[in-house]
Amino acid sequence: MTPTIRTAMGVGAVYAIVLGAALLSPYDPATQHRDRPLAPPTRVHVVDRDGRVHLRPFVYADDESGPTYPVRFFAHEVDEDGSIGSRRLLAVDPPAHIFLAGTDELGRDQFSRLLYGGRISLGAGVLAGALALTIGLLLGCVAGFFGGWIDAAVMAASDLFMALPWLYLLLAIRAALPLDVSPGRALASVVIVIGIAGWARPARLIRSVVLSARTRDYVTAAAASGASRARLMLAHVLPEAFSVALTQASILVPQYTLAEITLSFFGLGVGEPTPSWGTMINAMLRQELSAAHWWLAAPAAALVVVSLLYHAAADALHQRSQVLPAGAWR
Amino acid sequence: MAVKRALASAVLAAALAATAPGLHAVEHQPAGEDLMTIDGEVGTSGGALVVAARGEPKTLNPLVALDAQSRDVIWRTQADLIHINRETQRTEPALAASWTVSPDGLHYVLRLRRGVRFSDGHVFDADDVVFSFGAYLDERLHSPQRDLLLIGGKPIAVRKIDAGTVAVDLPAPYAAAERIFDSVAMLPRHRLDGAWKDGSLAAAWGIATPPGDVAGLGPFRVERIRPGEDIVLAKNPYYWKQDRARTRLPYLDRVTFLVVPSEEAQVIRLRAGEVDVLNRVSAQHAAALDRDQKASSFVLQDLGPGLEYHFLFFNQNDPAPSSVKPKQAWFGDERFRRAISLAIDRASLVRLAYSGRGTPLWGPVTPGNRLWANAEIARTPPSLDAARKLLAEAGFVRHADGALADRGGTPVAFSILVGAGNAALNGMAAIIQDDLKRLGIGVQIASLDFNAVLARVFESHDYDACLLRLVDGDVDPTPAMNVWLSSGPTHLWHPSQAKPSTPWEAEIDRLMQQQMTTLDGGERKRLYDRVQAVVADKLPLVPLVSPNIVVAAKRGLGNFRPAVLEHYTLWNVEQLFWRTTGRSGR
Amino acid sequence: MSLVRVVGRSVVVRHLARALVELLAVSLIAFAVTELAPGDGFGQARLERQLSPAAVDALRSRAGLDRPFLARYASWVASVAHGDLGRSIAYGAPIAPLVARRALNSLLLVSASLAVTWILVLPLGVWMAARDRSADGRLLAAGATALIAVPDLLIAIALLLVAAASGVLPTGGVRGAGFTGAGRLAAIGDLVRHLVLPVAALTLIAAPPLARHVRASMLDALRAPYLLAAAARGIPYRRLLWRSALRAAANPLVSLFGLSFAALFSASMIVEVVMSWPGLGPMLLDAVRSRDEPLVLAGVMLSTVLLLVGNGCADVLLRAVDPRIAA
Repeated sequence: MTPTIRTAMGVGAVYAIVLGAALLSPYDPATQHRDRPLAPPTRVHVVDRDGRVHLRPFVYADDESGPTYPVRFFAHEVDEDGSIGSRRLLAVDPPAHIFLAGTDELGRDQFSRLLYGGRISLGAGVLAGALALTIGLLLGCVAGFFGGWIDAAVMAASDLFMALPWLYLLLAIRAALPLDVSPGRALASVVIVIGIAGWARPARLIRSVVLSARTRDYVTAAAASGASRARLMLAHVLPEAFSVALTQASILVPQYTLAEITLSFFGLGVGEPTPSWGTMINAMLRQELSAAHWWLAAPAAALVVVSLLYHAAADALHQRSQVLPAGAWR
Repeated sequence: MAVKRALASAVLAAALAATAPGLHAVEHQPAGEDLMTIDGEVGTSGGALVVAARGEPKTLNPLVALDAQSRDVIWRTQADLIHINRETQRTEPALAASWTVSPDGLHYVLRLRRGVRFSDGHVFDADDVVFSFGAYLDERLHSPQRDLLLIGGKPIAVRKIDAGTVAVDLPAPYAAAERIFDSVAMLPRHRLDGAWKDGSLAAAWGIATPPGDVAGLGPFRVERIRPGEDIVLAKNPYYWKQDRARTRLPYLDRVTFLVVPSEEAQVIRLRAGEVDVLNRVSAQHAAALDRDQKASSFVLQDLGPGLEYHFLFFNQNDPAPSSVKPKQAWFGDERFRRAISLAIDRASLVRLAYSGRGTPLWGPVTPGNRLWANAEIARTPPSLDAARKLLAEAGFVRHADGALADRGGTPVAFSILVGAGNAALNGMAAIIQDDLKRLGIGVQIASLDFNAVLARVFESHDYDACLLRLVDGDVDPTPAMNVWLSSGPTHLWHPSQAKPSTPWEAEIDRLMQQQMTTLDGGERKRLYDRVQAVVADKLPLVPLVSPNIVVAAKRGLGNFRPAVLEHYTLWNVEQLFWRTTGRSGR
Repeated sequence: MSLVRVVGRSVVVRHLARALVELLAVSLIAFAVTELAPGDGFGQARLERQLSPAAVDALRSRAGLDRPFLARYASWVASVAHGDLGRSIAYGAPIAPLVARRALNSLLLVSASLAVTWILVLPLGVWMAARDRSADGRLLAAGATALIAVPDLLIAIALLLVAAASGVLPTGGVRGAGFTGAGRLAAIGDLVRHLVLPVAALTLIAAPPLARHVRASMLDALRAPYLLAAAARGIPYRRLLWRSALRAAANPLVSLFGLSFAALFSASMIVEVVMSWPGLGPMLLDAVRSRDEPLVLAGVMLSTVLLLVGNGCADVLLRAVDPRIAA
C-alpha cells in the first residue's frame, strides 16, 4: 500500500466515523443525564471484582460496585424510563451508562457529542477550505499569470479581505439573520463566511509561485514556441501551483476547522443542542483550570489527531506528485 | 452600584439609631474637625492591596461614568452625603452628619460634617453640594445619574442655608428619600466650576488628566494611571473617618486596580499571589479554586444569592413583528407561561449551569434582599403532569409524535434569545430546551452578541423569548420602578406602554406608585410583597435562578467582610488592613 | 535607500497610492459593518442603570450617533485626513493618544515575536526538509502540525498555567507591580522577563505553520534538476542546502514574511488579553464589546496600515530578491 492510499484511508476513516455517528454513538448528543454531570469515562471491564472473566465486556452502574451490566452490541438503546430508542453499536441497560469519553457539565455523553460535533466542525473545515482554495487558486493564477492591472486589482482585493474585521462582520451577519435558523443554514453561513474570508492567503502564495513559474525556462520556451496563454497556464503553471495548493489544503482544512471551532467557541456557530468541537472546547476551558476533568479535553485531542492525518496525507500526495523523491540526489 | 431612592422616614429614625453609635465620639474631636467613627476590628496602618479589574476605567468623572470599571475606581475616591451601608443594607450618615425631615416628607435639612477636606486639602462646604447637584441635574450634561434625581419627572431642589447646612426640597412626596443621596458624589467646585461654565465638564477628568487635578472626598485619591496596565490609588490624608482607637482611616497606603482582562488569568494570578482580591468569581472557576484553596494562600467566600436574578420572558409587545405576532397568543396566555415555569427544573439549572452556586427563584426578589423578599411565595416543584394539564386547559393538543400544537393546529415552537458571552445563561438555555422538549415544545436557542440581544429586546422587539439577567441597584423597591411599571422603559416584556394592557399590570402599577409615596415601612413591605406575589403568579418574567456572589481574597486581610451589594469586596476599603506586615513593601 | 534604487521609485509610489485606496475601502466597509451590527453601547447602560430612553437618546446624540451614516462617514474621513482620529465614546477622550501608547506596546510584542519566530523557523524548516526521510524530521513536522491544531487561546492559557506553577516568570502585565525603576538596566531586565511568556505564546502560535511552509518550499527547491546536477558534481550537501536551495525557496518565503507579520499581529490580540499585555488587544476587545465605534474603527485602520506595510515590504523585497519579477 502506498503512503498516499494509507493516509487517504486514514482521513476517510475519520470522515466515515463522524458520518456514522448515528450508529456509532451510544446516545443522542443532546440527551442530558442530569444525575451524572461531569462523569468520568465509564470503565469497561472483562474481569469482575471476584476475578471471573466475562466473555462479554461489562460495566458497573456506579462506583465500580453492584451488579454488572453487559455491553450489548448493535442493540437498541433503552432509556431510563424504559422506552426503547434507536439501534446503537454499543448499549448498556439502565441504570448503568456507557460514557466512553465521560460527560459534560450538563451530563451529555461526550463521545456521542464528539462524533456529532465532528460532523459540523470537520464538515465546515472541508467545505470552507474547498471554497477558499477554489477562489484562491483561480484568482492567484490569474493574478500571477496575467500581471499588470489584473494582478494589482486582485492583490488589492486580497489586502482588503485580509484587513476586514471578520469577527465583527460575522457578528453583524449573525445578528441580521432570523433567530430560528436551522443548524444546516447556520453551518452554511459559517462556511461561506470562512471561505470568503480565507481566499486571500492562498491566492497570495499561489500568485508568488506562478510569478516565478512563468519565468522558468521551459515555460518561456513554450511561450516562444507559440503556445496559447490558456494552454500555458493549464499545462505548465497550474501543476506547479497545484503542489503549493495541496500544501495549503493540508494546512487550511484543519485551520478552517479551527475557524469554525473559534466561531462556535464564541457562541456564534451552530447553536445548541447541536454540538460542535468549538462549543465543547469552550465548555472545557470554562470548567477547567486544574485538569480535574481531563476528559473534557477530548475534542482538542481529536482535533490534533485529525490535523496530523491531514498533514500525513498532504505529505504523501506532495511526494507522489514529484517525479523524483525528495533528497534522491543525496 | 447601589444608588437611589426612598425609605419611609419613620424607618429612618430606627435605622439611624441602629447604625450610628459612633456619632457620639464626634464631640471629642479636635476643634473644627468632625470625624466619623466606625465600628470594626482596629487594624494597623500601612501596606498595599492589589485588586484585579476586568478592564481599565474609562473616566474618573462621576458625572458621566457608565461602565462598572470606572465606577469601581471612582467610588474608592469619592463620597456621598448619605450612604447605604452595604452590610446592613440601611442608610447611614456620611458627609451629612445628621439631617431632619419635615412632617410631610418633602423638605430635608442636611447638616454637613464640619472640617471635611477634599483630597487636595481644600475645604468642603455647602457650595460644593449645591454645585454637585446642579451638575448632576444639568440637562446639557446628560449625566446618567440625572434620572435618579427626578421625582415624578421633576428635579429635586438643593439650596444652601449656610456653609455647613443645605436644604433639599422634593417636588413630590417620596418615601424616605435619603437613599437618593447614595452614590451621588460630592464634587470639588473649586476644580470643576470652570469646566462647567465653559461646557467641557463632560470631558473633564478623563484618564489622561494629571492625577493631581482630580480631587475627591473618598478614602483614596488617584496617584498614577498607566493606561491599560493599572491604576494606583494612594491614601487620602484628609479622609473623614476614624476607627474606634481614633486612628484616621484608611489603613492601607495604596490600592492598585490591576487590569487583567480574562477571567482565567485573574484566577491564575490570584493563585500566583500577584493579585489579592477578586471581586467576582464565576461558579465554574469557584469550583476549581475551591479544590485547591486549602493548600493555598487565599480564601474563597460564597456570600449566597445577591441582588442578581436570571429569568426568562416572552415577547408581549404590541405591535410586534409579523413573525412573532402569531406566537403571542401563546405568550399572552398566563396558563402557557405557568406551564413553562412548571416544566423547568430549577434545581437542575442551579446544579448544572451554576455548579450548585445559585439559588432557585420563584419570585422576582432574591433572598439576598433580606429586607424586602417575600418569603411567602410558593416554591412549586417542577411537574410535567401539571404543566401538561394546564396546556390542555388552554387548548393545546399533543400529537401522536409528541409535538404540541395550539388550537389552530400550529406546532408550538419558539426561539430563546441569549447573550453569547454568558456561560451560565447559555447552559440554562440548553437545559430549558431539553425540559420543554418533554412538553412537545420545540425550542431554538439563538445565541447572539449581547448588544444585538438588547437591540432586539428594546428597539426592534423582534424575538420570541429571552433569557436575561438583572441586578437590582438597591434593596429598596423604588429603583426597580422602571421594570415593574407598565410605562417603564425597562418593563422588559412590553416596555413603555401608554396604559397597562392587562388588569394585573394595572394592579402592579397601582401598588408600585403607592409604595413609593407611603411613609409607613410595614405598609410598603405589604405592598411590595403583593407585587412579588402577582409577578410570581402571572409570570410576565419567569424567575429562574439567583447566582451566588463568590469572591476571593488573600488570607490575612482584616475587616474583609464582603457584602452582596456592590462593590462586593471593597465597599469598606477604608477599613481593610493586612494582619501581617509582610505586604507593606508593595 | 538602496532597496528603493533596486526596485525603482515608481513601484514605491504605486504601492503607496494603492495602499491609500485600500485604506479608504477598508474604512468604508468597516464603517458600514459597525453600522450594520445592531445595538449600541448604551443598551447595556439602559438595562443595568435603568436609563430612560430619553437619556439614552441624549447620550447617543452627544456621541454623534444620531446623524445619518454618510454624514458621519464624511466627517470622519475629513477629520482623519487632518490627523484627528476622533473621540472615543466610552472614554470621552481623543483616540490618538489612547491608541498610540497601546500600539507601541503591541508593536514591541509583535516585533519581538517576529524576530524570535523567524530565527527559529528558518533553520527548523530547512532541517525538517533536509531530514524529510528520517524519523526525527518527520516527528518534528508532525509536532508542528499538532501545534497548529491547538487553539491559540489554549496555548496562551496553558503557558500561563505553567508559568504560574513554576513561579519563575510573571504571569502577565508589562512590568512588576512594585517596580519603581531602579535603573535602566534593571528596567530592561524586568521588561524582558515580562516579554518571555507572551513572546513564547505568539511563537508557538505563529511558528508551526511558517515552519511547514519553509519546509514545503525547501522540499520543492531541493527537487530542482539543477540541484541534483550540482550534487552529482560533488558540491557539498550543506552548501547546497543553505545557499542554492534556500535561495530558490526564497520567493514564497518572502511573501510569507509579510503575511507572518499580519498573522502575528492578529494572534497577539488574544495573547494580549490572556497575558494582560497592555496592547491594542484588550482595548479593542473592550471597544467591540461596548460598541465604541470610533475606537473600533481606529483599531481596524491601524491593523490595516500595519498589514499593508507588511505586504508592501514583502512585495518590494520579492522584487529585490528575484530580479526576474518585473516592476
